[in-house]
Amino acid sequence: MRITNRPVTSNSLFVLLSPFFLSWKNEFLRSGERKWARRALLLGLGLGFWAGIYWIVRRVLVYFETVHGLGPALAYQLLLIILITFLSMLLFSNLIAALSTFFLAQDLDLILSAPTPASAFFGSRLITTTVNSSWMVLFFSLPIFAAYGSVFHGGALFYLWVLVVLPLFVIIPAAIGALITHLLVYGLPARRIRDILFFIGLFAFVILYFLFRFSQPERLVQPEAFGHFVEFLSAMEAPSSPYLPSSWAAEIFASVLFQRPVELWFFYSLLLSYALFLPLAASRLSGVVHLPGWSKAQESRQGRRQGALLDSVIRRITRPFPDALKAIMVKDIKTFLRDTTQWSQLFLLLALIVVYLYNFTVLPLDRSPMPAGMLRTVVSFANLGLAGFVLASVAIRFAFPAVSLEGRAFWILQTAPIDLRALLWSKFWLNLMPLLFLGELLVFLSNTLLRVPQWMMFLSLVTIFLMTFGITAIGVGVGALYPKFDYTNVAEIPTSFGGVACMICSIAFIGMTVVIEAWPVYLLTMAGLRPGPSGVSGWALAPSLAVVLLLTVVAVVLPLRLGLKRLDKLRD
Amino acid sequence: MNLEVQPGEIYGFLGPNGAGKTTTIRVMMGILKPTSGSVTLGGYDVEREPEMAKAITGFVPDRPFIYEKLSGTEFLKFVGSLHRLDPDVLRHRIPSLLEQFELTPWKDELVESYSHGMKQRLVLSASLIHQPKILIADEPMVGIDPKGARALKDLFLSLAKQGTTIFLSTHSIGVAEEVCQRIGIIHKGKLIASGTMADLHRLAKMEEGKLESVFLELTRDGTSPVEYARNVNRY
Repeated sequence: MRITNRPVTSNSLFVLLSPFFLSWKNEFLRSGERKWARRALLLGLGLGFWAGIYWIVRRVLVYFETVHGLGPALAYQLLLIILITFLSMLLFSNLIAALSTFFLAQDLDLILSAPTPASAFFGSRLITTTVNSSWMVLFFSLPIFAAYGSVFHGGALFYLWVLVVLPLFVIIPAAIGALITHLLVYGLPARRIRDILFFIGLFAFVILYFLFRFSQPERLVQPEAFGHFVEFLSAMEAPSSPYLPSSWAAEIFASVLFQRPVELWFFYSLLLSYALFLPLAASRLSGVVHLPGWSKAQESRQGRRQGALLDSVIRRITRPFPDALKAIMVKDIKTFLRDTTQWSQLFLLLALIVVYLYNFTVLPLDRSPMPAGMLRTVVSFANLGLAGFVLASVAIRFAFPAVSLEGRAFWILQTAPIDLRALLWSKFWLNLMPLLFLGELLVFLSNTLLRVPQWMMFLSLVTIFLMTFGITAIGVGVGALYPKFDYTNVAEIPTSFGGVACMICSIAFIGMTVVIEAWPVYLLTMAGLRPGPSGVSGWALAPSLAVVLLLTVVAVVLPLRLGLKRLDKLRD
Repeated sequence: MNLEVQPGEIYGFLGPNGAGKTTTIRVMMGILKPTSGSVTLGGYDVEREPEMAKAITGFVPDRPFIYEKLSGTEFLKFVGSLHRLDPDVLRHRIPSLLEQFELTPWKDELVESYSHGMKQRLVLSASLIHQPKILIADEPMVGIDPKGARALKDLFLSLAKQGTTIFLSTHSIGVAEEVCQRIGIIHKGKLIASGTMADLHRLAKMEEGKLESVFLELTRDGTSPVEYARNVNRY
């Protein structure tokens, strides 16, 4: 047999990446009209978001420019916050993606049983990890850079720097993700590889928290904390965390955009050297620890289940439900708790709540030119929409995949003597309970921090109660309408077409609810500002609450019915 | 476990579920790292010279993965390139393998549209693309119809005749009996017997009988096969 004499590593790297390119090509070219329609819709949505981001960032930057002497400093701080946010998102998604591509991918047996050089294996996996975890951040970062370029007249040179800096900026967190994942898999006494996700979740929580604290976004709205204008200006012009790649990238962009006297090439060399060194270090480490780490994690057995207490808790939770519903719920709770990929996402949720509530403690409400009482009510009302959005994002992770998670075992339910309605209702109630707890907790705590009037607290708690019913039903119902039983990775489910449709429906529902309640809230807020008794009472809320109730009933019944119809059709 | 398979030999590897057949095979292929000991394929140590060892070995896993969005031809081209075969060689080799495994009409279809048997045939053809000196097959008969199974047995026999060493893990005692020159039986991670049919009979202290009886005798845990069957029937 004739074997080629081409250089082994570069050729192997290309070969190892070829299935991904070919799969994309085939997926793209060999698809029916329906897929093209979906693609067009997704593209339209993406472009809509793109345009929206560009418009918002541009408006903010134009506003900054009007602040005499502070424009570039504020724009620079915003750029730092944006880049630090990107960095934290990239770090988190790279940790998950690296675990998946290096240790969980289905083609590992095929690749590792072939004469593949370790460096080519690492290179191809690192590229896959980087692309998978960074494309979305890159896509949504472009309108931001476009806005910066257009407001501060960056010109072709700025865009050239963006093109040169961004690849380095994404490769650094990818290499760190690969490094940490390898160390975790190799070093931790994990029984199963999926248990590593527990530590990754914990890690991500810590990273998110610290990166958020590094960025100190409240500095943008608290100039008086610095005492003197010059002090404030100099603080605004310095990066809050000079050791992070996001600060280096910000320095480079700032030097081009705001003509700041910065050692541009020094920061570029810094980025470049880390972007070269970290992948190399990770490659060396992978060569040594990948196979032993992978072997160790695969050989071990799952620990013995110790769950008498848990069993009794589950029994109590599901007691009020009929037997068939109860059986499905018990199965769902147990599989959820035993699947680390699922519940480790709770760490992210915890980070989200901490950051969310923290924002309310640093809001400079008393220093605003608007009356504090009015501002508190306005923020609290806006918070209703925001809390709804948080619930919708959580629902898309947990409620939307609920039906798809039955996966290839769906035949068991199809062939069992149960009504599929019971299946959908079990998913609904199971997701509703934690979402309700989360929603009420978020709104209650943020309203307490805001010290809102009693009627606003009442309205918020009732509204979020109703909203949660709608959001959960939309999640479960649309999830049944677009089930994805043949997933290879749970994370694929929320990013499918159905996931996007579900998010759009949820946001529309939240938007409608907020709009319906806006008028009575306005009336009551204005009445509160006038001294003495006013003619507006809390009953002004009743009609809009009734309409919201009606809307919620529609939002619960319609998606669940449509979902049920679709599941019934699967039998045809 | 201490085991040596001669060039051109078909060695059958039998064992109850969970005995360690797949783990052994994965260690042999360098997919798992052994805690101790070594594996040598065609004179190459799998630990120290993994690329050389894998270059002369073909592998059929028990649960093969194929990229669903590739066509049959693209998949074979990919595996051939992993083995660094010359593109000119692949241009001839791929159609002949597709023909041999009756996949030619489906060569440009995506793998996702293949039946289970067709996928299995594609994996087999991929394992032979570089004309390996050694073929390690883990349950290759699963999902193949009787006609395909016959063809596969004939293929193994003809490969062995050409000098290819075949290490065949199987649940099918009939297949092992029919094509293997020697058979090894693994039980609870240990190779408890290895040799020709006559050797195995001797080990099981049985004068004659089918391989099935020998296998059940050697792998029973204190209970005789008859008692075991009686216990199963009771439930």
